[in-house]
Amino acid sequence: MKQLAIWILVQAAMGSAALYAQGQHSAAQLPDAPGRDTVKKICATCHPAEIVLGRGMSREQWGGVVSNMIGRGAKGSEEEFAQVVDYLAKNLPPSAAGAATARPARKGGGLLAQAGASDKQVVDEVAANRGKTTYIANCITCHGPKGRGTDQGADLVRSLVVLSDRYGDKIGPFLLKGHPMQSGAQSAGLTHAQIVDLSHFLHQKVEDTLRTGPYNKVLNVLTGDPKAGEAYFNGAGKCSTCHSPTGDLAGIGKKYEPPVLQLKTVFPQTVAFGHRASAGTKKPVTVAVTLPSGETVTGVLIEMDDFNVSLRDASGQYRSFKRTPEVKVEKNDPYEAHVALLDQYTDKDIHDVVAYLETLK
Amino acid sequence: MKQIALFLVFCLACALGLSAGAGDGLNPAKLLQPPTDSWPTYNGDYSGRRFSTLTKINDANIKSLSLAWVYSINSASDPFGGVLKATPLVVNGIMYFTVPDKVWAIDARTGREIWNYTWTSKGGIHLGNRGVGIYENWLYFETPDCHLVSLNINDGTKRWSKQVCDLDQMYYASVAPVVIKNHVIVGVSGDDLDIPGYLESRDPETGDLQWRWMTVPKPGEPGSETWPNAEAMEHGGGMTWVPSTYDPELNMLFVGTGNPQPVIAGKGREGSNLFTESIVALDVNTGKLVWHFQPSPHDTHDWDAVQTPVLIDGEIDGQPRKLVAQASRNGWFFVLDRKTGKNYTSSEFVKTNWAKGVDAKGQPIPNPAKEPQTDGALVSPNQGGAVNWPPPSFSPQTGLFYVNATRAFSIYYIFDEDEKPEGWGGNDQGGWAESMLQALDYKTGKIKWSHKWESSGVRSGVLSTAGNLVFTGDPADNLVALNAATGQPLWHANLGTAVSNGPITYELDGLQYLVVGAGDRLFAFVMNSN
Repeated sequence: MKQLAIWILVQAAMGSAALYAQGQHSAAQLPDAPGRDTVKKICATCHPAEIVLGRGMSREQWGGVVSNMIGRGAKGSEEEFAQVVDYLAKNLPPSAAGAATARPARKGGGLLAQAGASDKQVVDEVAANRGKTTYIANCITCHGPKGRGTDQGADLVRSLVVLSDRYGDKIGPFLLKGHPMQSGAQSAGLTHAQIVDLSHFLHQKVEDTLRTGPYNKVLNVLTGDPKAGEAYFNGAGKCSTCHSPTGDLAGIGKKYEPPVLQLKTVFPQTVAFGHRASAGTKKPVTVAVTLPSGETVTGVLIEMDDFNVSLRDASGQYRSFKRTPEVKVEKNDPYEAHVALLDQYTDKDIHDVVAYLETLK
Repeated sequence: MKQIALFLVFCLACALGLSAGAGDGLNPAKLLQPPTDSWPTYNGDYSGRRFSTLTKINDANIKSLSLAWVYSINSASDPFGGVLKATPLVVNGIMYFTVPDKVWAIDARTGREIWNYTWTSKGGIHLGNRGVGIYENWLYFETPDCHLVSLNINDGTKRWSKQVCDLDQMYYASVAPVVIKNHVIVGVSGDDLDIPGYLESRDPETGDLQWRWMTVPKPGEPGSETWPNAEAMEHGGGMTWVPSTYDPELNMLFVGTGNPQPVIAGKGREGSNLFTESIVALDVNTGKLVWHFQPSPHDTHDWDAVQTPVLIDGEIDGQPRKLVAQASRNGWFFVLDRKTGKNYTSSEFVKTNWAKGVDAKGQPIPNPAKEPQTDGALVSPNQGGAVNWPPPSFSPQTGLFYVNATRAFSIYYIFDEDEKPEGWGGNDQGGWAESMLQALDYKTGKIKWSHKWESSGVRSGVLSTAGNLVFTGDPADNLVALNAATGQPLWHANLGTAVSNGPITYELDGLQYLVVGAGDRLFAFVMNSN
């Protein structure tokens, strides 16, 4: 068993070496973009940072890779790792072909992907697919399609044997002792390779169950009544005071997937494209500072606390002021009406409005 | 027998008025007094009040507070980019603190490093570490890979380590151990797979297990009637990741327990899910449950009720009462009798939208419509909560309970519609928040004053002092001192990073220090003028 584990490690290392060689061969450089120095500093401690070249992945997938590296000892601050993920996501996005074949990534990545032991099994997707065949043939009737068990068989996702297993070293001896299989075959007759494949499949089911797994996505938000939504839009919600279905919202139903549309509707100030708002997509909060002299300075709010306020005025000039009782500060949040709605909406209102906006194709 | 022997030694030390000098370790008597020249346990003392009787820094002279030293953990020999969530302990002029896998001892007068210790990790989530516990010459901390480690406080050498949880089940550890008599109280974390939470007491000399209290009962035990079946109980969650408080007179430990599991999708665990999301009183000698109160029955929002149960010796309706208060992650403030668990006050400390009212015991009644839904439910507070782990403070001088609060909304979804969901089975998305420091009258739960911050996203602990001051962090990276009675901001220093732990204070050589962690640096301030 140990030999097998070593073999897998070697294979993994060879894969990395091949990628590395590719990078060397083309003498490719990391794209010159913000964060490159951080990527070099953090990754190059253990391997050439250029190892990433030739790969293309989503932000979530890169997050998974980086968190995996942290598990392997990469050192840096949370901010630096965020910069690394940001750099990789922006500069090495998924290619069309890559995206089509990629398995849904472990979302969120980062610290959450550290859950468990650092020597936990690294799921080989190809082997897991082979293991799935064995599972369907021999196990699924009692242990269920997701491995969560039935009245006839134990929950394998929660099984201590499975959780402590590495590449079959626990489920192998368990099965070799003899365990009923739906095909009628002897479990002791499973080959070593079949057990390893099965192990990959079961660990894949465990990973799928985690909050970073592929099951974690919004299923359906289009449960509302578009007619009622339109009435709310023009009536109680007062949406039509600022928005128009033929103006700023024309085609909004085409523009966003329904779950994103729902979040944008309720939280337009914090939700831009997808989960992470990018700067510049939201309307700025503005501020008017009236000084003791009577002069009023207005601009886009940079930061305000109890003691100071800073802004950028129309000419692009940065200005900051100490707050005193003599200095008047007026903040104007363009999303104020949306904040007020948070206390007024019912969930039905939200679903109705989203159903209505979805019809604006 | 050993317990009695220890107790005798302990009493002898008290009787002789022995005071520990440098190198003599922590005299356990220190833990029963209000801290002045030390900060010997996570909350300063067992009460969880985080109130200091020191007055050399006060509302009249606060503007003269000066920087004494800054210590950056990145300057240590093995750089680790952690965030200082630990509350430092100060014993005999030496300060001890942690980030995951690392411990430091530095001079509390100068910030000079004395030693540091690095644990070689075998995994686990390195989300944060809340610090150390100290017993005589020994220090205790927990690691993300499920170990309780004991070090010599003089040189940081390891004495022993004990495994306290199972990494393969995706437990990890982050809490600061609390030392009570000859008990090291140890908690666990882990919200990834569905696993049972527990609290342990371990022997300070050997690390051996003395007792283990399981958050969720076994079939047939009291509380099991709040679960549908044995399997749900066996995987019911309820982690213990914030240090407990202790009443020496009642010999009771007060513990806040975490969310039930599966975290969001509660379909497979109908019922109130005791003793998750609860404030429980345990006998510290045996770990036996004395009483319970449940802030979030059948939680489906990840609103751990782990926030410090703060002990208040106060008055209710003119009668002196021993009380315990919690500002809970779900947005509600509770005041209970700490002998019996009887409820005196249940009130919102920020406006929420998830409860239909309170039951006869004073526990909020969750509105089923505000449980996570497949198409989304708009809920306040959000998953981060109205308050998270950062500690609150209670000042007996003002009678006010201070909590750095957030009013937030998000949409909660069910992702797993299975009859028996596993893992999380859902999550919240999107959001909007505002933040404020709330000062609550413990007798009524009413907000005496509220200081709204100009932006949101604050996660800083609170300290109050007899100098009529409250110290905390704001969302703009300021360490702020406010008038404890009125909430008026009096002083601030921008630390460049948000205050990331609970501030502490201590007096050495007649000088009062204030120390706070912000990101990867500790800042020490001192009052030089008197």
